[in-house]
Amino acid sequence: MRIVVGIKWVPNTQAVRFDPETGTLIRKGVPSIVNPHDLPAVEAALRLREKTGGEVIAISMAPPPAVKGLELVLGMGVDRAILVTDRAFAGADTWATSYVLSHAIRKIAAEIGEVDLAIFGHETIDSSTSHVQAQVASWLDWPYLYYVKRVEPVGGKLLRVWRELEDYEEEYEVETPAVLSIAIKAFKPRPVSLSSKLRAKLEKRVLTWTNADLKLDPRCVGLKGSPTIVAKTIDMPEVPRKKEVYRPKDGKDAARWIIAKMVHDEKLREVLKGLVGGEL
Amino acid sequence: MNKFDVVVVGAGPAGSTAAYLLAKAGLKVLLLERGRGAGSKLLWGGKAYAQPLRDVWPELDKEAPIHRWVTKERISVLWGERAITLEYKLGRRVAFTSPLTELAAWMARKAEAAGALFLDEVVVEEIVVKDGRVVGVRSGGDFVAADVVIDAEGANRLLLEKLGLADRPNPYHMAVAAKEVISLDPRLIEERFGLERDEGLSWLVLGDVTLGIPGGGFVYTMRDTISIGIVLNVGYGAEAAEKGVLRDHISRLLENFRTHPYFRHYWKEADVIEYGGRMTVEGGLRFAPKRLYANGLLVVGDAAGMLVNAGYTIRGVDTAVTSARVAAEAVLEARDKGGFTEENLRGYEERLRKSYVYKELVDHSGVAEIFGDPFFFSKVPPFLVRAASKVFEADYAEPTLLEALKTSAQEEEINMLRLMLKVGRVVRRI
Repeated sequence: MRIVVGIKWVPNTQAVRFDPETGTLIRKGVPSIVNPHDLPAVEAALRLREKTGGEVIAISMAPPPAVKGLELVLGMGVDRAILVTDRAFAGADTWATSYVLSHAIRKIAAEIGEVDLAIFGHETIDSSTSHVQAQVASWLDWPYLYYVKRVEPVGGKLLRVWRELEDYEEEYEVETPAVLSIAIKAFKPRPVSLSSKLRAKLEKRVLTWTNADLKLDPRCVGLKGSPTIVAKTIDMPEVPRKKEVYRPKDGKDAARWIIAKMVHDEKLREVLKGLVGGEL
Repeated sequence: MNKFDVVVVGAGPAGSTAAYLLAKAGLKVLLLERGRGAGSKLLWGGKAYAQPLRDVWPELDKEAPIHRWVTKERISVLWGERAITLEYKLGRRVAFTSPLTELAAWMARKAEAAGALFLDEVVVEEIVVKDGRVVGVRSGGDFVAADVVIDAEGANRLLLEKLGLADRPNPYHMAVAAKEVISLDPRLIEERFGLERDEGLSWLVLGDVTLGIPGGGFVYTMRDTISIGIVLNVGYGAEAAEKGVLRDHISRLLENFRTHPYFRHYWKEADVIEYGGRMTVEGGLRFAPKRLYANGLLVVGDAAGMLVNAGYTIRGVDTAVTSARVAAEAVLEARDKGGFTEENLRGYEERLRKSYVYKELVDHSGVAEIFGDPFFFSKVPPFLVRAASKVFEADYAEPTLLEALKTSAQEEEINMLRLMLKVGRVVRRI
């Protein structure tokens, strides 16, 4: 089984600050990391490979420094990695990104061998749209399952896939090729050992593809191929902090006190209204 | 594949220097760092002496992430709302400010460019010894062999302790530091501190910023940030906490420092964008491990006690870099002699003893004496400030300096003779 895993190289949003004037993220000087939700997807792919044999190929559309992220997943046990990078791809929204990724997957299928599965993380920490997986599935015309928490090979081209939903679970049988999106924290990514890090670094298994390799229409990639417009961003109101100590008699008393506070504090009422989007 | 000439543990200034020089000399070097990215575990005030770094990288001035060249050195003694400040205006470029994470990342990049293999997020759990010699390191069950291991693990010497080369640290030889980074427009920094473009200030503060506990406060100007912090000796801090003198967390002392009327206008309306804390070495030579070399092993940087505290200045980066440079020379010498045996590596300690670092460490060991005498932190600052107040806050005739000192000593219950003796001893050793 040949599995492609999508990796996004994202700014560490824990360190990102918001510019209230322009309404954008200040990314300057912020270190980038592998999108944390992609690591469970890598883990899912590796476990599947352990059962079925075959190979796992990581793929990322990103600027060259993302090689470091690909080295990390190579260290986890991914067989090889492809960095899809070109100035023409810069400024892409999810649509243009999924277009490039789907063509990269086609190129893998054409040149390396048939691709059975594309696995992605649930979402990315810097934009949280969860669009790309679904769009890749659309471009490739493959079935798509998301919130996936378990995958088992059944035999032949069949996989059994479990989806996790709020208070129940769904079980599917899906024929490959398919696209899966792994639920947040569904798989605990394995630690990267020193020797596999060394191997990843020394063997240089990161392949680089530019648009000279993919030969995509420049009007369909990067900023030009991106129909999304961010019309407006709204900063969430900051919750005012006040220090107050109340020693309740019991739990009920404590709850009563907190509710009374919330209802009577005018500032807090405004914040709550903003959060629920209407009257309380 | 898992075999190197040299494995360096820790990508701080010392580790990256050793890796850089040895890779440049053609050895196969592996540089390991436990944090994400080189230097990510570092935290300091902000001033490095340039010349010892130029000895390793002549291109330092052009390439390194130098924020400001220190042109003003200030020392203040603070008590209550009163302060005595001494300022020295430097005449040439001697030291610069830089966030150590940036500086160390630059050093690690130099090492990588020279051919060293750098891996981060690798925790070395053990330096492996076989038949009386170090043969490599172990991490998460993986073994990497090396002809020689350079321990640059820093102040927290878990590996050396495991090897039995260092004892558990004496709390009186360690300090805890808390630091904040304040973001401010470069022009405002220059305006408020009276600096030209690219000029910086280094400021040490003694007195009740530490509640009279041995330690001090610091202020360093970076390009567009100000770094401020409080350092407390761990042993005396714990004593003070037992006596009830120290009742707050160190971060509260830092907060009091930041909001003190004498300082706060420097960073008025500026935001704190970062805070952090760490343990640091205060013992200098007393902190040094039992030995700095063994069969297949060298110890450099903070782990080797290479931190000079001269009272009016603290040097750790240049001394770390120099110890690593000397260690690299010793490694090359040992290679030429035919092996990294204890006998062949002996040159490290000999060279180090001849270097300025050792002279600094010995000459300023008197500072340890001061730090061993809380008198200088709890008694001297209020006495000096009181004397100054008599001279500068006289409504009618002010006293002579001697009178001011005498009466202040009486009021602070200080024996003048004892004070003079102590001061005399300090001046000779500081």
